[in-house]
This record gives sequence, C-alpha cells and structure tokens, in this order.
Amino acid sequence: MLFASLSGAQTVVKVGYLAALTGDWAAYGQTEVKAAQLAVEEINAAGILPGGLKIELVPYDFRSRQEDAVNAVRRMIEQDKVVAIVGSNSSGVNIAVAPLVNRAGIPQIGTVSTNPRVTVDENGKVRPYSFRICFTDPYQGKVLAYYAAKKLNLKKAAILYDVSSDYSQGLREFFIQNYKKYGGEIVADLAFRGGVDVDFRAQLTEIAKAKPNVIILPNMGKEMALIIKQAKELGIKDVVFMGGDGYADFMWDIAGDALEGSYWVNHVSPEDPALQPFFEKYKKKYNDECKEFVNGILGYDAMYLLADAIRRAGSANPKAIRDALENTKNLKLLHAVITIDPNTHDPLNKDAVILLCKGRKAIFHDRVRPEEQ
Amino acid sequence: MLVYLEGIIILMCINSIAAMGVSLLTGFTGIFTLGHAAYMAIGAYTTGILTMKHDVHWLLAVMIGGILAVAVAYLIGVPTLKLMGDYFAIASIGLGETVRLIIENWESLTRGARGLPGIDSFTTLPVALGFLLTLTIVTSNILKSSYGRAFKACRDDYLVASLLGFDTAKYRILSLCISAFYCGIAGGLFAGFMTFLQPTMFDLQKSTELTAVVVFGGLGSLSGTILGTAIITLVTELFRPISQYRMLIYGAVLVLVMVFKPEGLMGEKELWSLFKRRDETWRKRS
Amino acid sequence: MESFIQQLINGLSLGSVYALIAVGYSLVYSILLFSNFAHGGFLVTGGYICYYALISTGNNIWISGLLALCGAGLTAIITERLAYKPIRERTSVTLYLLIASMGMSIVIENFWVIMAGGRFRAIPPVLPTYPFKMGNLTISSFDLLVFGITILLLFGLEFFLQKTKWGLAIRAAAYDLRVAALMGVNVNKLISIVFFLAGLLAAVSGIFLSVRYTLYPQLGFITIKAFVAAVVGGLGSLRGAVLGSLILGTAEMLTAGFISSQLRDIVVFGLLVLTLLLRPTGLLGKAVSEKV
Repeated sequence: MLFASLSGAQTVVKVGYLAALTGDWAAYGQTEVKAAQLAVEEINAAGILPGGLKIELVPYDFRSRQEDAVNAVRRMIEQDKVVAIVGSNSSGVNIAVAPLVNRAGIPQIGTVSTNPRVTVDENGKVRPYSFRICFTDPYQGKVLAYYAAKKLNLKKAAILYDVSSDYSQGLREFFIQNYKKYGGEIVADLAFRGGVDVDFRAQLTEIAKAKPNVIILPNMGKEMALIIKQAKELGIKDVVFMGGDGYADFMWDIAGDALEGSYWVNHVSPEDPALQPFFEKYKKKYNDECKEFVNGILGYDAMYLLADAIRRAGSANPKAIRDALENTKNLKLLHAVITIDPNTHDPLNKDAVILLCKGRKAIFHDRVRPEEQ
Repeated sequence: MLVYLEGIIILMCINSIAAMGVSLLTGFTGIFTLGHAAYMAIGAYTTGILTMKHDVHWLLAVMIGGILAVAVAYLIGVPTLKLMGDYFAIASIGLGETVRLIIENWESLTRGARGLPGIDSFTTLPVALGFLLTLTIVTSNILKSSYGRAFKACRDDYLVASLLGFDTAKYRILSLCISAFYCGIAGGLFAGFMTFLQPTMFDLQKSTELTAVVVFGGLGSLSGTILGTAIITLVTELFRPISQYRMLIYGAVLVLVMVFKPEGLMGEKELWSLFKRRDETWRKRS
Repeated sequence: MESFIQQLINGLSLGSVYALIAVGYSLVYSILLFSNFAHGGFLVTGGYICYYALISTGNNIWISGLLALCGAGLTAIITERLAYKPIRERTSVTLYLLIASMGMSIVIENFWVIMAGGRFRAIPPVLPTYPFKMGNLTISSFDLLVFGITILLLFGLEFFLQKTKWGLAIRAAAYDLRVAALMGVNVNKLISIVFFLAGLLAAVSGIFLSVRYTLYPQLGFITIKAFVAAVVGGLGSLRGAVLGSLILGTAEMLTAGFISSQLRDIVVFGLLVLTLLLRPTGLLGKAVSEKV
C-alpha cells in the first residue's frame, strides 16, 4: 500500500467470491459470479474506490459442499490475502465459514443466505465480520404466512420441506409460528432429503389425503419444480403452491405449465423497471438470460455495497471496511435502499415482493411492507 | 500462505491415516470396501460430541472415537465378512450409507443434516504429523509380524490359506477392525481440523476416494499409500480454480493407472526398501 | 387401503425404472464378474444425447430415442475397449476392473458437467404425462408407458438370450467364460454385444428418468439403488434383478408414505444387508467363489 502510493501506481484490492460452480447449486453460483464480475468492471471504470484502487475478483468453487467451502475460504484469506469476501448464497455454508472469517477479521457479505444464524451466533451475539444484503427467514416466513392466511385466505396448509437444509428448516419453522397466529392450520408436515431424493410421489400422496388448500415449499428450485410437476401427475388439483426465494426461472423448464398460479415470496421482481438495465447489460456481456435473477441482482448489488464501504473507509483495511459496512445508511442500490442494523448486521426494513407465475413467467403481483403485517 | 499450506499438510496426514487403514484391509488382506468413510464419521462425531458437550480432553475423545469405530466394525464384520468379492463391496456401500443416515437422523445427538459447528481446533501440524508417524510405525510392525503374513496369505490365496490352517475368518475380522480404528482416529483428527461436521462429508464419494487412493499408491505398499494420498490431496487443492476439470483429471488418472500400471505407483515395494537395495549394491562394490 | 394401493402403484413404477438399470448391470456382471460402476454414466449419456437430439430434430422422439440408445450403447462398448479390455486380458483380478470403472464413472459424469454445464435440463414434453383417474386412484399415463416399454424390453432381451445364436453364447459365457472361449466363441465380440445391450437399457432408463425428473450430470447416482436391487435379487441373475428392483421400489415408496421419508434409504440398505445375511447370494443368485 505504502509503496504503491509513493510510486503512484494503481494497486489492486482482492475480493474473494464464494460460489458453487459445480454440483447441485452450480446454476445459482455461476450466475452470481458473472453478475459480480459485471459490477466489478463498472466499479473499476467509475473509480469508486479511494486512491485509484481497483478490485480484482477471486472466485472459488465450493462444489455445493460445506467442507469444500471451508478450504476455499482458507485459501482466499491466507493465500490470496483478500480484504473481503462476497457470497455465498447458502445459509449453511456461511454459518460453517463464519468462525473462520471472524477469527481472521475479514468481512463477508452473504447474498441470499437468509438464516438468522449467518450474522448472529447461537448465543444471540452479532458476529462482528458477517453481513448480509438480503432479508432473513423469520421475516420471509412471516410474509409467507401472512400472505397465505390473510391475503389469499388459505387456512389449510401442507408443508414439504428439505430436512438436509438449514434454509429449508428455518423457513418452515418461522412459517408455522406465524401461520398459526394468523389463524391457519397445518394439515400435513412432511420432509425429504435434498440433493438425493428426486421422487416425491409418496409424500404427495399423503399430502393429497389431508386435503390442504395451499402447499408450502420452503426449498431450492430443482426440488420445488419436481414436486410441483409430480403433484400434477398425481392429479392433485385445487391447491395453491407457495414458496420462498428459492424460486428460479429454470423451474419452468422442469415443471412447465404446472407452475402456473403459484405464488413466491421474493427479494426482487424481475419486472421491476429499475432492474432492466442490469438484465440488458448481463445479456449483452454473457449472451445468456439471467435465469437465477435473485442471485444475479443480489450478487451485483453486494459488490456495490462493498465498494461503497471501501470508499467510506478510505482504505482497503479489512477492519475499516467492516466498520464502514456496519454504518451503512440509506445507500441507494439497484434493488433497494440499504441501511444495515448494527445489532444484527441485517438490512433494515426491506420490502418483500410477491411473484405470481402466469403465462410462463413470474410476474410482479404485490409488495409487502414490514409495517403492514 | 504458510497457514494455508499447513492446512493442506494436516489434511494430507489425516487422509493418509485413513488410507493406511483401508490399505491394510484392501491392499494386504484383499477385502474390497466402499464404506470406510462411515468409520471416519463415527470417529469424527464421537470426538466432536465428547469434546463439546462433555468437556472430554480431545486426545481421549479421539481414542474413544477410534475404539467405537472398532466396536461397530466388529458388529458389522462378523456376519458380513462371510460375503465374498463384490457382495461385500456392495454390502459395505449399504452399511456406510446406513451409518451416515443414522447420524443424519439422530438430531438430538448430532444436530442432523444441519451439521455440528464450533468444535475446538485441536488438530495442529505437530499433532497430525505425530499421529501419522506413530501409526505408520505401528502399521509397518504389524505387517512385519506373523499377522502381516497371515493377512497377505488371505489375500493371495484364500483357499490355500485355509488349507494351511490359517483361521482366515479371524484374520479378516481383525484386519477390518484395525482399519476401522485408523479411520476412526482420522475422523477424530478431521473434526479437530474442520471444527465443523456434517453427515455429507462422509458420503460414498469419500469412501470411494479412500479406496481409490490405496489402489493408486499400490496395493500392498504402505509408503505407496501415503505417497498416493499426498499426490491426490495436492492435486485436489492445486486444481481448485479449475474445479470442473479437476474431477475429470482425477477420474482419468484412476483409469490410466489401472490400465498401464495396475500395481499402482509403488507396486508391493516400499520406499525404504528401494534405499536399502541401493545400500546393499554399494556395499558389494566396495 | 386406497392410499396403500396408490403407494404400491408409485413403487412399481419406480421399481420398473430400477429394473432397466439393474438388468444391464447384472448382465455385465454375469459375464465379467465385476460391478461396472460406470453404468450410471451410460444412463446420463443416453439422457443428454436424447435431449440434444430432440432440440435439433424439432422434438422427433423416434429419431432422438434411437440416437440415444445407439449412442449410449456405443459409449458402453468404447468404455469396455478403452478401460476394461487391457485389464481383463492381463489379469483375472476383478478389483482393478472395479477401480477402472469408478474412474470411468467420474470421467463420464464430469465430461457432461463440462459439455452441458450444471443447469437442470428438462426433456421437452414429447411423452404423455397426464393422469388417469380410476375412482380415487391416479395413474399417470407416463407410468403406464414406462411399464409397457420395460416389459417389452425385458421380454425382448429374454427372447434374444433364449432364441438366438449369440444369446446362447452369452448364456454359455455366463456359466464359464473361459470354456466358452475354448468352444470357439469370439469373446471380445461377445463382451461388446453385452456392453451394447447394457448401454441400451441404461439409455432407456436415462430417458425415462430425465422425463420424469430432470436431467443433470449427477443423475447417474440413482444407479446405486439399482445395484442394491441387483444384489438383493442375486448378482448375475436377470430375473433376480427384476424381482429385486420391484421389491426395492415398493419398499421405498411404502416407507416414505407410511413411516417417514427420512427412513427411506435406511430401509433400502437395511433390506440389502438383511437379504445378504439370510441368503449371501441374493434371492435368485448362483453361488460365487472368491476370485480375488
């Protein structure tokens, strides 16, 4: 740093990006890295960082496996000397690497990792170096329960969740808590093992017997699409499917028309006019649709959140970046205005959007504000 | 950088200890297994739970983990080791997966699929190296003893061995128990290295890797096993940035070794025997 | 009762897909006496060839299906020639074949990861999947199709083995490969035919699985269950493979439906171990002697 400023040469700040580029979640991870790369080019071109610093992205694959993520983060911190890490999109992975980044004092921003324990440890203490840009599962579960019971007036729910996922278990828990408060009744609560199970007909047969009017799916895209497809094959009708932010456009390829009429709680709507420039830039650069739009947008905005913190910190010192991140106030990003809560490191007061599947795409249906529930 | 390198070396030691166990079973006794990650899982979870919830000293916990793995291996081994060839291999897949599924479903004890975080980081470089060195010496002494000869007899000709009066069933079970102990210890050290455990860490892929490394290094060569593990661990880390090709290369190497050098890197030779021989020729010359 | 019958139907439909995989795997085992772990790779290859052929032929299922079947069959022959032939000609240790087949399985899976990417693909809706209602029972038309084609293929295979010259040679080789060779059977050609058949059956199940679920490089992982089914039925016995598959599929669905879906796989593997303890050669298997 010192020599660089003396010689006036540009210096490079390395930022790690943790993503699954192979394995079951590869589709999400590849989109995030591409979107982040796009943001980095813009940030460097605009000269947002202080002292002519430029960001260099160091993306590592964790093969959709947590133990690989631990090794990847070690490598980023110790060998590449990154000043911050963005990603991953998985709550389980971020909880697993949280002790590492906090011991090393390197700030990390999760993209779509919604489990509360990503930023707050088991004892309720905030993890000093862990942040996130998305809303949390307690909030998401509450919105899901509120919308099903109050807005759509569906009071008999069946749940089919993934027992091997932190995200899925958390979302289910918070949904149940709130759904009962809003006067709903859980008529069936069944599980499967994500990544291994592809056949859900046994569970769906049991669910059909309980005659629910809404089926809640707090899972990842592949499993949700397969469940909806198989439900149709079993002739399950007159029931609404609802889920969380695991929704992705590739589900149409798997489930086809069976998706029509399902509702999804999400962070952003792909139809939001403010987001269209991003989608155009993405398509132009990669010649590919941004099908995992949530990951794309949040990966892109997380880079801008970090760049803003480095700008306000005035240097690329990890501790200074952390302090600046904690004090982020009313930062206008592409998808929302972000204020970080210092007590939880979650963004404050984010709206949730409700998407409705109609005409082979997810259209914007409604917006839910935190204060209205 | 140094810390990262240290991490790789520790991982290498851990993998070598587990592979040594499998080598004893597959390389020296000729029993093919595809489920030994289960014994690592037993060792790892035992260590993790004992150190975290019951404040047991880690060294004791690692040992208890090893012993528990032996107990499970004995219970499993007595009935299943009667099975031959591929039947045992497929049964070992079944047993390995069953152990993993039990860990996954026993949430009150293991926290299930969500994983067990916050284990003490006790596996330092000296600890890992110390364990590896001790266990290597133990293994090479076992192999030199009459037990070692009996294991090899079971491998080379099962029928003749039984006709010669070897109690082959006993030696097969003994070999399985020793290998389970090694994997249990390796699992315990793995828990102290990772500080976080999840049932998926011990899936079929891990079991396959253990067996593949043993074959790669040379069936019936202890130093070959350690060398093989070192090479595979290094390659896995070095190729991280091109992970898609990483697995392709790994698979291709396995096939090529089997086609061109099925005896593996070292065959049945040991590194130290290579030096010894050179030593002898030098003496003759002088 | 109704939901019991419904779960039984679900189980039989799953079991028939297992059967297609298990029969090919068992056929290879009966000749070469080793577990070909690359079998899952043939299945995935069939699925991907079908997927790309459908896209480029404008959803012609006949041409695409034929291409997929032949492509996977050829992949199986090539795999055998490249990886197994040099080993089996040099040594009788089946362990080396086993490891080589694991290597091939990793190679084929990751070949598709690189070629097609990790995204989940769906075969265009060329096969009917609408449900039939019979009282309170639901049968998917696709299940009926799977049943029908599976039965047709298995009878075709049986006919081939019983009534043709090569079928006779394969049955002879399953008794004793060396003796068959001494009687003038061209062993290499015979093994290629066996692998082609195994690849072909795997491709059919690959297409079925891609239609029912989704196509991705790790789809071949399902073959582990089929291997278990083959062992339960008795390695090397084709009827055993079918029987084991139906038992396994049904057991899985009944467990998931009536006990708990988390215990599904524990039941599968428990069934395997139990069968082997009671009958070490599986339900219909012939006695094996240790060759290692």
